[in-house]
Amino acid sequence: MRRIVIIGGSAAGMMAAIAAAEESPDVEVTVVTQDRTPYRRPATPALIGGYITDPAEIRVFSPETLARHNIKLICPAGATNIDPQNKVISIQHDGRKERLSYDAAVIATGGHPLMPSIAGADKKGVCSFTTYEGAAEIADRARSASCAVVIGAGFIALEVAEALMHKGLDVYFNVRTRMLRKLLEPDVSEFLCHEFSRKGLKMLTSEEISEIGGEDRVEYVVHKSRKIATNLVVMGTGTKPNVGLAAGCGIKTGPSGAIKVDNRMQTSIENIYAAGDCAESPDLATGKSIYSPVGSIGASAGKIAGRNAAGANQKTKGFLRAQADEILGMQIYSIGHSSTTAKEVNLTVKVHNIDAHQLGHRSRTTKPFEIAKLLTDTNDRIVGAQLVAKKYGSQFARQLYVAVLHGPNKEEFLEQFNWPRIKLAEALLDAARSVVVVESVGQGEALALANIPSHKKINQQCED
Amino acid sequence: MDKVIVANIEKCLACKSCELACALAHSKSKILEEAVAESPKPQRMVTVEAVEEFAVPIQCRHCEAAPCVEICPTGAVQRQSEEAPVIIDADLCIGCKLCMLICPFGVLQISPQGRAVIKCDMCLERLEKGQEPACVEACPTGAMKLVSLKEVLKEKRSKASKQLAEETQTKKKARARKNRK
Repeated sequence: MRRIVIIGGSAAGMMAAIAAAEESPDVEVTVVTQDRTPYRRPATPALIGGYITDPAEIRVFSPETLARHNIKLICPAGATNIDPQNKVISIQHDGRKERLSYDAAVIATGGHPLMPSIAGADKKGVCSFTTYEGAAEIADRARSASCAVVIGAGFIALEVAEALMHKGLDVYFNVRTRMLRKLLEPDVSEFLCHEFSRKGLKMLTSEEISEIGGEDRVEYVVHKSRKIATNLVVMGTGTKPNVGLAAGCGIKTGPSGAIKVDNRMQTSIENIYAAGDCAESPDLATGKSIYSPVGSIGASAGKIAGRNAAGANQKTKGFLRAQADEILGMQIYSIGHSSTTAKEVNLTVKVHNIDAHQLGHRSRTTKPFEIAKLLTDTNDRIVGAQLVAKKYGSQFARQLYVAVLHGPNKEEFLEQFNWPRIKLAEALLDAARSVVVVESVGQGEALALANIPSHKKINQQCED
Repeated sequence: MDKVIVANIEKCLACKSCELACALAHSKSKILEEAVAESPKPQRMVTVEAVEEFAVPIQCRHCEAAPCVEICPTGAVQRQSEEAPVIIDADLCIGCKLCMLICPFGVLQISPQGRAVIKCDMCLERLEKGQEPACVEACPTGAMKLVSLKEVLKEKRSKASKQLAEETQTKKKARARKNRK
């Protein structure tokens, strides 16, 4: 029996556990996690919105799923030390110390909220939402507050702001640099800022909040020497990798501060793998290491770490970051590199504005999307795409995703943009008509139930 | 997959009975009076979209080569067999929204509670009991139908060949008339 110990019970850790169990029947998989129940992390805004009251409602990787894979769960428990020489992990569980021997280990300790150094950030009423407890505190305080200040620039920070607005609070949103800086180009950020403020989100831009004031709890914040009274400050300023455990046993970290891994997700110490928000991962466009704390990459990287821990030898070509969300009626998609992340891997990119007419949209009065961008590298290969739309954005986003994944050049992409008709109403009608076709005697119509352009296989991110 | 839900948009009145029935079928109590008061609110997976003069009920097409199944990093979006509809195992869904990004029809959505992705499951529960999907059963004009592809194809072939035969027959008769003259 090969003993595999996984530290961390979120997407990366659990997927590592499941993949390891599926890889070989001859493994004994144990997951050690601090969470009482593993839960869906992006669900915290729903908690603030009052839709859920109990972590069990957003539970993932239930005991039944784990039992099906013969995975042992130790929780709530914290790993305190890894001894790579003797292959032993020390854990603290139920107030007792335990030692777990391993043949292979996966570190998936996730990230901490990154707290900016603002004076007064330690006051009561300053919350973050990365944990269930943090989100519960926000939900609790929102009940009595009339105004909230959200500091941050990510998708979940925006979702939290939206949830608080729905609760009837006056919400101020402070972006230190610009909105969704890592995901979008500056003009897209600006467009969204404008749209969001039109929807009632009060934007505090261009400067960080300089002070959080009050006795022992928050009473006001100061932005550009203006005082804003509030009892609730939400910090959503990003994630920093939780590498204490790894660093303690001499595992190397990369320039981003996250655990350095090779293309098998193995750390600098043999038989110890890492995945998720605590680790770097190879970038699909360049193969270089990059820090992308995104759930889908964590899960994909976790699977590779788990399989390799179970004895496989799977290498990844790299991961493609793709994120989508709908905030205040705006669908936002960011796929692959933005000019910000491209800089991190020394990739020279050109940003192209795509207007609908280039894609064959004829109507002058309707707009199928608000903004679309393509990013190409010096070989004119597509390495990134961004899209903002009010409705049906996914119809474009999938094309963009396939383009970024397979990297054709820009001209080729625009030529082959295989939309039946760009006008979305028509596309929808088409989808409906093509199903109706089966009812009438056709004159050679294809029985295309779904009007899906033939697409290349999507999951080509891995090779064995 | 052989069975598909099709919509004849010429018959759709935009009454949204399908939406209501869908939400009800996916509620806890399955009783309308109780379902409206349920928390979390039952969600519908079929949407009647307004497109020009048409009303288009649209829901998951359960694609053969389903992009959502391929892209899901955790295997939450899945299909039990080739003949089964595409369903979501909420227990594996981490809420990364990749399936929503890739869906060409935009028919996957995040549930306001729980934040797992929800989508049409073709009323598996009802199918097992021998009932039709809720939206199909509720449709007052018969615009929505559950059809078997094989049967439809067979019917279509037979209609097409009949039409062809009739046309040939007419031509033949016309020729015969011409010859007699």
